[in-house]
Amino acid sequence: MSISDRIPAGTFGSSPPRLESYAKVTGRAEYTHNVQLPNMLHGKIFRSSIAHGRIRRIDVTAAKALPGVHSVFTAADVCKLVPNPYYGPAFHDQPILALDKVRYVGEAVAVVLADDPHTAEQAVQLIVADYEELPAVFDEVEAVTSATFVHDELKPAKTFADLKHLAGRSNTNVIVEFKLDRGDVKNAWAAADRIFEHTFRTPMVAHTALEPLVSLAEMNGSTLTIHTASQMPSFVRIEIARLLGWPESRIRVKVLHLGGGFAAKTYIKLEAIVALSTLLANRPVRIAATMEEQAYVIASHATTCRIKSGVNKAGRVIARQCDVWWNCGAYADVGPRISQKSGFTAAGPYDIENVLIRSRGVYTNLPLCTGRRGFGVPNLSWAYESHTDMIARDLGVDPIEFRRRNLLREGKEQATGTVMPDDSIAQVLDRLAERMNWSAPFERGHGVMRYGRGVAVGFKAVIAPTTSVATITINADGSCILNISTVDMGQGSDTVMAQIAAEVLGITAQSIKVSHPDTDLTPYDMGTVGSRSTFHMGNAVKLAAEDARSKIEALAREIGLTKGSNYPWSELFHRRYGMQAGNIVGMGTFIPPYAAPSSESGHSANVTPYWMVGGTGVEVEVDGETGRVRITKLITAADCGALVNPRIAETQLSGAAIMQIGYALFEKMDFDGGQLTNASLADYNIPGMQDIPLALVSVFVEGDQQGGPFGAKGLGESGTFGVAPAVANAIHDAIGVRLINLPMTAESVLRGLHKIQGRQWGDE
Amino acid sequence: MIPFELVEPETLHEAVSLLDADDPGVRPFAGGTALMLMMKAGVFQPSRLISLGRIEERFSMISVGARGELRIGAMVPLSTLEYSPDVQSAYPVIADTLRTLANIRVRNVARVGGALAHGDPHMDLPPVLSVLGAKAIVIGPGGSREIAVEELYTGYYTTVLARNELIAEVIVPAPQTRYAAYLKYTTRSAADWPALGIAVLLDSDGRMIRDASVVISAATERVTRLRHTQEILNGKAIEDTTLHRAGEAAVAETMLVADARGSMFYKQQLLRVCIGRAVRMALANGVGK
Repeated sequence: MSISDRIPAGTFGSSPPRLESYAKVTGRAEYTHNVQLPNMLHGKIFRSSIAHGRIRRIDVTAAKALPGVHSVFTAADVCKLVPNPYYGPAFHDQPILALDKVRYVGEAVAVVLADDPHTAEQAVQLIVADYEELPAVFDEVEAVTSATFVHDELKPAKTFADLKHLAGRSNTNVIVEFKLDRGDVKNAWAAADRIFEHTFRTPMVAHTALEPLVSLAEMNGSTLTIHTASQMPSFVRIEIARLLGWPESRIRVKVLHLGGGFAAKTYIKLEAIVALSTLLANRPVRIAATMEEQAYVIASHATTCRIKSGVNKAGRVIARQCDVWWNCGAYADVGPRISQKSGFTAAGPYDIENVLIRSRGVYTNLPLCTGRRGFGVPNLSWAYESHTDMIARDLGVDPIEFRRRNLLREGKEQATGTVMPDDSIAQVLDRLAERMNWSAPFERGHGVMRYGRGVAVGFKAVIAPTTSVATITINADGSCILNISTVDMGQGSDTVMAQIAAEVLGITAQSIKVSHPDTDLTPYDMGTVGSRSTFHMGNAVKLAAEDARSKIEALAREIGLTKGSNYPWSELFHRRYGMQAGNIVGMGTFIPPYAAPSSESGHSANVTPYWMVGGTGVEVEVDGETGRVRITKLITAADCGALVNPRIAETQLSGAAIMQIGYALFEKMDFDGGQLTNASLADYNIPGMQDIPLALVSVFVEGDQQGGPFGAKGLGESGTFGVAPAVANAIHDAIGVRLINLPMTAESVLRGLHKIQGRQWGDE
Repeated sequence: MIPFELVEPETLHEAVSLLDADDPGVRPFAGGTALMLMMKAGVFQPSRLISLGRIEERFSMISVGARGELRIGAMVPLSTLEYSPDVQSAYPVIADTLRTLANIRVRNVARVGGALAHGDPHMDLPPVLSVLGAKAIVIGPGGSREIAVEELYTGYYTTVLARNELIAEVIVPAPQTRYAAYLKYTTRSAADWPALGIAVLLDSDGRMIRDASVVISAATERVTRLRHTQEILNGKAIEDTTLHRAGEAAVAETMLVADARGSMFYKQQLLRVCIGRAVRMALANGVGK
């Protein structure tokens, strides 16, 4: 028989070992950090020490003179090759190296190339920059009315039709304002029995992928090859080609395994600097960010969210107004997308007749921000699920009962007008209540330790419209190679895609080789972001496998075999070509139907190909004397569609939940005058093993996701929505303290407790 | 990181002779767990590093002396100390402390001497060895001297050790019938540096507190003995009012430092509460053999 033993369908829904597991546990998995190019130079970046200023002069003489230094480049050198050196997915606002101005502490100003990274680092210390310092703005709400402007004019990329009207606008820090109007909020206030209004804040947080950013570039003939730890090889190719004015075919982007991504490795990060360095130096160049440096390359949005609700006598929310400010940092990156695509869910997974949303992306003099596992939804759910609980408790209604009264149910229109196709939000809440044993009495304690419980649910639209393309090659011996640009960064996509292809072809997942992304060989994919791969690439893979299967069937007919014959594929090739020769290539392209929200009303009949729905229930122990919160039980329930691989699905839900424990309790990037003061992992804490609750449970709400491959959908972020608000709700349940700002540090809990006890706190 | 000279002497005296009293770029290292991080962060750029990895075997040994004292060579890895039967039976507080110190990979590499000489006030061993009355035997060009561990520290990352002195050995006196505990309070992740460390040693007949010894760290600039708090505890009954008064005394006699783990006021609250908890923890821990 051939390598690919044909088996009955059924690999879908089972949990075969991950394809890369052996390589990973034996230390043989390939990462970009290990890539060595012959004769390569090492680059280190000289970064701005001020938050906002005009560059008067950059003196690189001493750096250039250091033995071992090959060259030092600034924006002036970049402009020789790229006269308009600005990039970005939604706005072309970020220069490859700072040009005329610096806009945040840590911005790349110059790059030193040397024989070894240590010499490069030493040379960086010898560079002197002279700035005319300008006033800086850091707060996302203040930036809206500030007289300090981070950019002189807005530069939206032409790729997005809905941003074109912003081109050339000046004297503003507001990148974009997404508006959604449903019903008549103004008149609804009058009809409400009670009105509640609260403001919630979240800080900038880091992605902390354990593999920091790294990119290398080399010229091979007329092709520029970029090796990079990126979640978006196709975008990197397109954007670098655009900057250079080259055809896409002259840029080749190769990606190996990633040591985590969480959206930090999206769009252009180090790729433009490394590409230009290679072209200017005419040598291969490697630039690897340290863990500390990574925080200067990318952060994720701080937010302020003001939310106001009108509730009628029956305990139904009849109106909700949400004002959201996204602190995008100094460059737009994905800010305009997050302002819109997460913005339209700001009112939460509730059935509310009158909704008004204003969601603004704002420039500030802080590191630029991108999505972080959840793409802004955790920022919003922090607000709407805390707010919802506050209303319920104020009204004296059980928080789960209050949610049930107001949930967005099957057939009802979400705020945009898109109809909710199923009842998964209610099912998620039901499963949480069941696993939390919510109807049973709960002991809150009487001594120093108090106990509380809380729930929260959330939902997210998928990034749309986006395209995935897959090809699958069947070799003459029957073996298979799946060519996709989806990046496996630990989430298990290689295994899942192999399972989908295997299900169609009737072979085992392990018998399929999944290639690493290589834009010369693997076709286009928008990117491995936003939990889109299982649905989008999964569909493309399914189509490619179906295409291959029909070609195999055609080949079998051609050589006169009976339909349904179990002849090994290798025999088909051998009979057809007289020897072990030939290939069958199946191809699939997928883009789901989608309707963009109207720029006036925010309405859309089909705003997302699918919804991600997830909720969290927690039990906490609160130390009434120190404010320390311990999560003793954490239950994640999520709509997972039809499970491709239950074991991987479980780790996606629990991994997302664990990541959010840090977001809830202690993660925060601290800035002092725009200078990050806790860049290292010694100072910026993330959850460790001992922070994980002993009772950590993942519950699948399984459904058939219409349009998904075999009913599957994405679930990498669904576990992120509920954690922080569920913990806040549980803290309130335990000790009556309501926290409105993240993170919920032990000190903020104790301060809240002192406040309600009427005790003085320090000098306040 | 700029290239530097690495020397691997084979005796302690040779190592001392390679040190330089005046050059801050010359430093010894044992496990290197702290120094390597400082070098990676660019905080320290050595001109010469002296590895102590090859010095005489006896500095990697734990033994019990004639008077029942524990003699710990400066090059003993923390994990060796943690699993030493002598330590586990006579000084369970040391073994308990080590279990929460960093992680197993660090404990396998970091050495006792380095953990004392580094001078970071967030470290766990200095307050614990201080409260146990441990002494460091320090070797310099002029010979050796004995310094109580609690007298080693002069401030944040600063010690009384000259640049050309090395800790050779640590001597922990024979345990009396005493209760001991180390309370490590972290306010962020469980694996964070502590916001407050409290080491207590005391005697009791089950009713009264005697001979209390209280040393705190992490929230202070350096390891600090709380003398007034000790006085408050001594000769008093084990009850909430005593512990509460001790907590107030502790706050009154210390200057706490604000950082990302908490404001000064918050750390005062922690100290106020945790003094009593540490005493109760010691009593609950039972009597070391």
